[in-house]
Amino acid sequence: MSVLIEAREVAVDGPQGRLVEPVSLTLRPGVPLTIVGETGSGKSLLMQALMGTLPAGLQARGSARIDGEDFDLSAPGNMRRLWGRTIAVLPQEPWLALDPLMRAREQVAEVHHLVSLETAGGAHADADLETVGLARAAARLPGELSGGMAQRLAFSAARAGGATIQFADEPTKGLDTAMRDGIADLLIGRLGAEGGLLTVTHDLDLARRIGGELMVMLKGRIVEQGPASRLLAAPSHDYTRRLVAAQPSNWARRQGSQGSEAAVISARGLSVVRGGVRLFDGVDLDLRPGAITGILGRSGCGKTSLGNALLGLVPLSGGHVSRDPSILSHRFQKLWQDPPSAFARTQTIGRELNALARLHRVDRQRMDRLLKRLRLSPELLKRPPGQVSGGELQRIALMRALMVDPVFLFADEPTSRLDLITQQEVIDMLGEVVREEKLALLIVSHDGDLLERFCDDVVKLDHRDGTARQSN
Amino acid sequence: MSSLARILGFRLAQAGVVGVIVGIATFVMMRALPGDLAFRIAAGRYGYDNTTAEAAAQVRDELGLDQGPLLAFLDWIGDIARFDLGRSLVSGETVWSEITHQLGASLQLAGAAVLLAMLIGLPVGIWCGLRAGSTADRLLILISSAARAMPQFLLGLVLIVIFAVQLRLLPAAGHGDVKHLVLPALTLALGLAAALARITREATHGVAQSSYYEFARWKGLSDRQVFFRHGLRNITPPVLTYLGLQFVLLAEGVVVVETIFGWPGIGHALIHAIFHRDVPMVQGTALVMGLGFVLINTLVDLAITRIDPRGDGRSSNRAGIEHG
Repeated sequence: MSVLIEAREVAVDGPQGRLVEPVSLTLRPGVPLTIVGETGSGKSLLMQALMGTLPAGLQARGSARIDGEDFDLSAPGNMRRLWGRTIAVLPQEPWLALDPLMRAREQVAEVHHLVSLETAGGAHADADLETVGLARAAARLPGELSGGMAQRLAFSAARAGGATIQFADEPTKGLDTAMRDGIADLLIGRLGAEGGLLTVTHDLDLARRIGGELMVMLKGRIVEQGPASRLLAAPSHDYTRRLVAAQPSNWARRQGSQGSEAAVISARGLSVVRGGVRLFDGVDLDLRPGAITGILGRSGCGKTSLGNALLGLVPLSGGHVSRDPSILSHRFQKLWQDPPSAFARTQTIGRELNALARLHRVDRQRMDRLLKRLRLSPELLKRPPGQVSGGELQRIALMRALMVDPVFLFADEPTSRLDLITQQEVIDMLGEVVREEKLALLIVSHDGDLLERFCDDVVKLDHRDGTARQSN
Repeated sequence: MSSLARILGFRLAQAGVVGVIVGIATFVMMRALPGDLAFRIAAGRYGYDNTTAEAAAQVRDELGLDQGPLLAFLDWIGDIARFDLGRSLVSGETVWSEITHQLGASLQLAGAAVLLAMLIGLPVGIWCGLRAGSTADRLLILISSAARAMPQFLLGLVLIVIFAVQLRLLPAAGHGDVKHLVLPALTLALGLAAALARITREATHGVAQSSYYEFARWKGLSDRQVFFRHGLRNITPPVLTYLGLQFVLLAEGVVVVETIFGWPGIGHALIHAIFHRDVPMVQGTALVMGLGFVLINTLVDLAITRIDPRGDGRSSNRAGIEHG
């Protein structure tokens, strides 16, 4: 067989109209196919339509020939038998996709037993775990696995039913850049000459690493397609070009301004121990007005704790932090990682900001100026946070911090949940604000490219030996 | 296993607190009763006609009623600590023997009610939870709210009127036969079943919406397999926790229902003891109910640690992954 999936005129309709315009695609054995696009572009819906798993209220159109059998996508009732047996799905955020109360080995073994109907399912599960390097974690619960381990476990469980076609939906969402390559290798490693791989992602580095064919999706339409290597090197559509340009590795280096003014926060010999583990030790920092300091490190290395320690939110285990005592404590501010969870869910944003304005006697003019400065439409203030996009919400969070006229801002992975282009917009905005407001900015990220181009100074935290190295 | 020790330690402390609170409350009650304590106790023991000053003096002597309040209180608490609950002021029997008699009947009633509530509440809750938003689901919310809002004394009377008076199917009161158990158990069970169905519905709905439930289907498991392997396991802890807490409602219900149906249990005894100002009996029954609550919840905790072995590792681990 030369084709694994031949989909014709696949479209998705929602209650408010069309979400995915008719798309035809072909998945060939041994040739990965990747669909890239930003949040809301419809790429995940397209994949769900091919699996027959669209949420209630959405309707797929078109047809697909999958593994030699024809399916009418508008009546997906009979597609369920493909799951696990023909199509294996690697879910988004695997630690949420694993049964929190079932031990690792059993999550794989049950598929061998119940789907593949093997009597030696347990032994097969052990072999699977061995292959992905989880043999020693067999008796652990998902909560005791790291993000990368959970990802590999989910991968093993998804494949245990013997499927030849692999679907992966945003497999790097929420994971460190360091783990991205591991996942790409995992996906390609099992592809072989016979297997199929369809990946949906907003991560161009993942797409590049996977290779094969690429489709770029924008607002429900495929705007460009072709071999990944060519498309990413020489994009022809305007949107693809913007997308590629928005990758931190393609950014221009920010014009640094090594501040010579007195530091608003200084740390000497900083050390924090949490849960019996020394996160870092002997960190020295001087955060000056107008300067941007980056902290780079993997998940769990303590980079958030470092920022929190500077703000006095986490107790120190050693060293000391000195802040200019003439500056009120509320002028040391924090920008949170996940914008939606940093706002009250049920009240409008305007209400929240007005309450803050009353508390700190911020005048109306300053608020209007900030709105304009951050390119936020006043209309947004009438909505609850759930009805505002992630990028806008993070800009509103920035505005909220700026309202109290801060001297220091700790930005904790401020763009890790945003799409590429949005990320660049928010980071640019942050850079402008730092310059204009003479703010000392500490930014934490796992993306080395981003920090290298954006910061005046980068501190690397290495979890293993608990030390910090300064670069730049 | 440290979580086991922690659970037992916490519950033991809780049991101690229950003992002290019940002790203080009943001691104050005892002291606040009008009239001479010794006379009242003597009257309880020997009957009003036989109560003489000598008998009262003897009681006073025997129980040390002349001591100061502080000493008397320490004595009182000391007795509780030794599980010496004293004698009933009415029957003269030890409180222990009275309670052990009644406890059996109450446990029978409560056990039947819980079983009935689970038989009704769990399947209904699971059914509606898996079909959230359906007509049946919306109906459940309506019916369960109505059932919970209905006071037990009213429900009991309605059941008596229908099944005992009109249909003459079941006896209105009595004890000893299965047919005597049906109406009181049903009265007690309906409110419980309504609440249990709602909680089970919420837990089931949450689990059925979860990513891991969806992923289990994607792995190729059938709906049945997904439910029995991943659904039940995750629904059980919250439902069981809730059931343990419902013991308060159950204890309250036992008092009301036993009184309505003349069921010779501990709730019935409590009411009688209150009417007769039989403070040692009030203390004994309150203590047994309080400690019963602690015991049930200890068992629930232990069961949950078996089903959900995550313990306290979960929060720290998750935080490590999500926030770096």
